[in-house]
Amino acid sequence: MAADDSTLPAHRGLEARLQAWIALVRFAAAALRDAVSPSTYNSATREVVARQIYFTAWQILPWFTGFIALLSLVVTQILVDAARGLGIFQYVFQFSLRALVLDIVPLLTAFFVALRTGAAMATEVALMRIRNELGTMERMGIDPMRLELVPRVIAGTVSLLALTSAAVAVSLLCAHLVVTGFEPWATHDAELRHVVAEVVSPTAMVALWAKVLAFGLAVTIIPIAESLNAPQRMFHAPIAVLNGMVRLFFVLMLIEVSVLAFQYL
Amino acid sequence: MKLVGTDRVPVRWVVDTHAREALIAAHPEAALVAESLPLRANLSVMENIAIVPRYRQDLDEDAADAIAMALLERVGFASCAHARDPDLDREERFVAKLLQAVLLRAPLVLVDRPGLMLPDVAYPHFLDVTFTALRDELGACWIIDYPWNAPLYGLSPSAICA
Repeated sequence: MAADDSTLPAHRGLEARLQAWIALVRFAAAALRDAVSPSTYNSATREVVARQIYFTAWQILPWFTGFIALLSLVVTQILVDAARGLGIFQYVFQFSLRALVLDIVPLLTAFFVALRTGAAMATEVALMRIRNELGTMERMGIDPMRLELVPRVIAGTVSLLALTSAAVAVSLLCAHLVVTGFEPWATHDAELRHVVAEVVSPTAMVALWAKVLAFGLAVTIIPIAESLNAPQRMFHAPIAVLNGMVRLFFVLMLIEVSVLAFQYL
Repeated sequence: MKLVGTDRVPVRWVVDTHAREALIAAHPEAALVAESLPLRANLSVMENIAIVPRYRQDLDEDAADAIAMALLERVGFASCAHARDPDLDREERFVAKLLQAVLLRAPLVLVDRPGLMLPDVAYPHFLDVTFTALRDELGACWIIDYPWNAPLYGLSPSAICA
């Protein structure tokens, strides 16, 4: 059981953190096993997946892509202006593509889904546990893992992959528009295509989507696992959410740094 | 028709919480209706009831909703079908839990301390009316209660002890 670490001696706090990580790994293994099992899916679980994808991805798609477009236009414009002053304009497109498409946009999307959906999932699961709704389902012969938890993991991961795809496409288009002076039809030369092909290479795409998949699993599994560990006391709900979100932040950053190190070192 | 207190829906009298817990533990196959087993707070009454046939029989949403709605209409609580747990009164909440238990088709339904779930009504009468409406859906059903509530059933505690 996780506990409010601030109330425990140092060694007990360490032990509690270790146990929380072990519980998280166990939940992740169980969730992934159930996610690939056909027996997990029936009419009820499919509806939970669909509803979660609607709330996580579809409902916010216009606003999110709008935000990404604005961000991409502003960041690329700043880079273009700075590059003109330094005389390195020809490198800007490649740099902005690398920074935006491969790193900034996927990480921002993961943070956005973590803040919006991860926090909501953590709160919902913590309250379900504290109110004994999960225990009630078990008593009724309904597996909460199959009906409530695994569908959220699947839907959250699929949503993050979908949102990142849309965001990457939008940021790619916006960066292209800025670099070509909003006249993309006039600059379809071989050099431009070469830059895009170099940045969006098969290796880079494999690294990108592996990273996004890891982000997707992290933003769903970590908050849920932390909430499942919460003691069944109402005042532990905010502590469980807080612990889950902090743990999630560090894991997302760890994934990002690991991929950067793998790609560039 | 009186069902509660008869062989059809007997009351199992327990003297304390240990006896009550032992009785429940002795029937793990039973569908339990209890204060400690809440409804899903973010689902409506109909969804809470329909989730049982949807999950256990893999029925589609419309078919499961139709079953849930038919049962709610039968017990006269159709008006709360789309309300969620925080907006329910105690009778509505109890009926939703009972209908979940009925749809589980368990060999036994245990109603644990109805007085705890229905503190504002004369619950033996309320249970009678509800069970009568569901009599062809309901298999074996026991009510678990304390002897000091026996007068509510028209019995004296001493008669029960005897």
